[in-house]
Amino acid sequence: MIGILGHAALSLAFVSAIFATWFYYRAARHGGEKNEAIANALFFLKGAFTLFASGLLVYLIFTHQFQYYYVYNYTSSDLQNVYLWAAFYSGQEGSLLLWVLSSFLVGLALIKWTSPEYRMPVMVFMGLTQVFLLSMVSGFPIPGWGDLGASPFRTLASEMPDAPVFQRNPDFVPSEGSGLNDLLRSPWIIIHPPVIFLGFAMMTVPYAFALASLWKRKYHEWIHAALPWTLGANLCLLTAIFLGGYWAYVTLSFGGYWAWDPVENASLVPWIFGMAGIHAMLIQKKHASAHKASIIFAILAYVTIVYQTFLTRSGILGDSSVHSFVDLGLYNHLLLFMLVTVAIGVGMLAYRYRELPEPEKESPLLSREFMMFSGAMVLFLVGLVIILGTSSPVLGRLFVDNPTPPDQQFYNNWSLPFAVLIGIMSVVTQYLWWKRHDAESLASALITPTLITSVITIAVVMLVNMDNPAYMIYLFAGVFALTGNGIIMLKMMRGNPRRIGGTLTHIGFAVLMIGILGAAYDRPMVDSQTREYNRAVAAGQVYDDDGFRVNQPVEFVELEKDRPKLIDGRYMVTFKSADVTEQNRPGEQEYEVLFEDVNSGSHFTMRPTVYPMLSNSSPGAVEWTVDPDVRTGWYRDIFMYVAGSSMVDREIERMNRENPGRFQSVDQLGPQMADHDPDETRTRVSRGGTVQIGDYDIAFQRFIYIEESELPDNSIIGVRAVLQLEHRETGERWEVRPQYILVSEDDEQYAYNPPEELPFAEEGSVRFGEVHPGSDEIELVIRGMEGEPEREWILLAAEHKPMISVVWLGTFLLMFGFSVAIMYRWADQKKREKLEQQGGELQQDDSDDDNLPVNGDPQSITTGKPDEHPA
Amino acid sequence: MRPRLIFGIAGIIVFTALVMVNFSQSISSYVDFEEATGMSGDNIHVVGTWDSSRPAEFSNETMTFTFYMKDEAGNSRRVTYPRPKPNNFEQADQIVVIGEMRGDTFVSRDMLVKCPSKYNDANSPELSEMQ
Repeated sequence: MIGILGHAALSLAFVSAIFATWFYYRAARHGGEKNEAIANALFFLKGAFTLFASGLLVYLIFTHQFQYYYVYNYTSSDLQNVYLWAAFYSGQEGSLLLWVLSSFLVGLALIKWTSPEYRMPVMVFMGLTQVFLLSMVSGFPIPGWGDLGASPFRTLASEMPDAPVFQRNPDFVPSEGSGLNDLLRSPWIIIHPPVIFLGFAMMTVPYAFALASLWKRKYHEWIHAALPWTLGANLCLLTAIFLGGYWAYVTLSFGGYWAWDPVENASLVPWIFGMAGIHAMLIQKKHASAHKASIIFAILAYVTIVYQTFLTRSGILGDSSVHSFVDLGLYNHLLLFMLVTVAIGVGMLAYRYRELPEPEKESPLLSREFMMFSGAMVLFLVGLVIILGTSSPVLGRLFVDNPTPPDQQFYNNWSLPFAVLIGIMSVVTQYLWWKRHDAESLASALITPTLITSVITIAVVMLVNMDNPAYMIYLFAGVFALTGNGIIMLKMMRGNPRRIGGTLTHIGFAVLMIGILGAAYDRPMVDSQTREYNRAVAAGQVYDDDGFRVNQPVEFVELEKDRPKLIDGRYMVTFKSADVTEQNRPGEQEYEVLFEDVNSGSHFTMRPTVYPMLSNSSPGAVEWTVDPDVRTGWYRDIFMYVAGSSMVDREIERMNRENPGRFQSVDQLGPQMADHDPDETRTRVSRGGTVQIGDYDIAFQRFIYIEESELPDNSIIGVRAVLQLEHRETGERWEVRPQYILVSEDDEQYAYNPPEELPFAEEGSVRFGEVHPGSDEIELVIRGMEGEPEREWILLAAEHKPMISVVWLGTFLLMFGFSVAIMYRWADQKKREKLEQQGGELQQDDSDDDNLPVNGDPQSITTGKPDEHPA
Repeated sequence: MRPRLIFGIAGIIVFTALVMVNFSQSISSYVDFEEATGMSGDNIHVVGTWDSSRPAEFSNETMTFTFYMKDEAGNSRRVTYPRPKPNNFEQADQIVVIGEMRGDTFVSRDMLVKCPSKYNDANSPELSEMQ
């Protein structure tokens, strides 16, 4: 019932979106208050229907209605409320719905704040993207063809009609859902997806503005309104990228914040193109050129969002990304969305291209507009390289059949020189931005930052023994960007601190750049023996049993409980304890590993966890995953996880025992008898006698009769056998008293003789199997006593990761810079609109106080001579 | 033509050529073990599934995980991996190993484990037993 309602609401939202777009088109084309009012009403209606449908979906999730495919697939009844909430957008359909909702909010803001000349055409394109997004989740019934897209309200029965369970009983409702992926059960899922979709929605705005400007042939003014939105979109994407990177770093075992995964690239490339667009818009604002570039980059930023959405959601990346979505049957849908987005953008651009303003004369090489334009082009090229790499399943076919994704090295090798260029250009452009220079004056202005940079770079190179020239150049560029932009910012702080946004983002970029270099100096923390071995491996001196050269270093250390090892030449590391804490998840194990710094004498404890991914597993084939612990420091982090342990091994064995047949243990291959447990030993021992089992002696001393009051009802008799266990080597002794109770029920007698756990072996037990009254012997069923007392060990994977905090710091500075810039540009735009309303005639550039006395000028603070404009 | 334009076009051509050459070198093709035997370099990608009929174990001495993998052509080969068994190994419906063939053993430096994803499969016990 609710499903039908939700289905209907989404279909109605889809229809409203179509009509809203149509009326926006009429309003944009022919004008008229009435058209506009109808269009807005339809737009609100669409929003209301979408909100209503989302509310219903949340309701279905919270009431655990597992007959719905979406609810079944992403939730279970044991899920905490926050994750039920997040489950709304944990799947593909729900995340599209979240995108629609974010776009709706952005649309509302546009209706309220966009100036009348652009408002209607902008809303046409906003509306159009809504039509496409909604069509993918609407489930709108098309007669003779089926439902449009994948509705989150479709039922399990309609999704898998061939399953026998539904053929037998069409009304079958599963009692439990399959649950949210364990890796997604992290607080970060609450914030990360909403931010990213808000970013996607905001990036639609520059696209819509660019197209509106082409349509209405108003090529100048749109950038003022689009600039704060583009900055906002970039802030959101950056925040989302940061959250995703941090999430990956602290919860996954690959130990990094970036892996050039297609899903990551999907938000990085639009961010880069957005950056290129922002720079082009700033040139246009300041210099009345680069109109084409502003429009092209604004279109590209959104087109790449749609393109990468296509790549990650169509299933085309199936093989190359471990976490891409799988095709929901939306392939053609997404393809159409992408083609239409591209066709409209390219078509309108081509149609108006000749008309677009062109600067009359070329700018000199050493002009800020040329420098900035080159910077935007470099960003554009970086974006292209990343797109090329991400598109390998498609574009790689040019070279090979069945192409694999490129090596990560491909991305790294190309982004390094580009980052160097960007770092240096950011300084040069900033210097030119605040004052006109010729080659000579620029050179003399740059002397100070160059000198400072050289000193710092040389010092660092010597300090860390850097021997890779590429890294040296990269470091130089990073430090140069930091000092150059830093000097400018210091001067600006004394002038007009409201405007430091741009400079601050450059500083953030520089800090980020320097921080990323730390990744080249990650090293596994191992003991000296392993380090020697790795050194030999690196020198090519190690050969395996088959005579082949070993080229993989060992990155793990085995630690026995309470036996410290010196690791990384600095830390005495001890495996203290392992416990099943079940703190966040069933079956979760927490390990306590003590690090003692032998240099400083300080110490700290790290607590990584390991847990079975129950919602991803079927009984008998339980997957285990690790949750690392990170110790954050100013200069370096220690990242560690437990890659394996005796406790996990025992758990796996236990689970296999409890689910025999389902899963063949990798450790227990070989013939298995149906009823015989290979770990079990049966033995007979007489009163007063001793048997040897493994490394133990078991002495059967005597019987004790169990008091009648302690016996369960209808027991006939109960005895305990007093056993003395002794470990032969160590002489340690334990006493156990397994019981044997004869119970009669319904005229049948049976024995109640549960296994008695052994105090020294986790999975060990002794069961009082049988009594042989004639011979005064008893039978014992023993398990877990072969060999010595269980050895407790862990495989420690620890990594020394320099400069991670610097990466985060750079990201925060970038975010802060964007925020300052948004506030400044927003206020600027408001001021401009107010002036317009007052009838003030505005020229292209004059309202922009970039041309106010140049307080930030590094060289001539006092002169404050405004720039002249070549245009 | 303006010199800067010529310079720009030349730059774009050189850039495109470099990127494409580098790109074509850094991707490779998914192959099977037979094909991998004749190939050089340690960036060979083989797709397959875990051959569960033969032993697989992590050795604490050599710190390598050894298992047998069946490629898409049905060849089964021993594969070594220099880390512990990946988390979701048993469940994987596809494994991609990256490395090189040495004799009859594939020495992998990396392994991608592709699982029946939450986005794709309804694999709860209740349903799968009934299917």
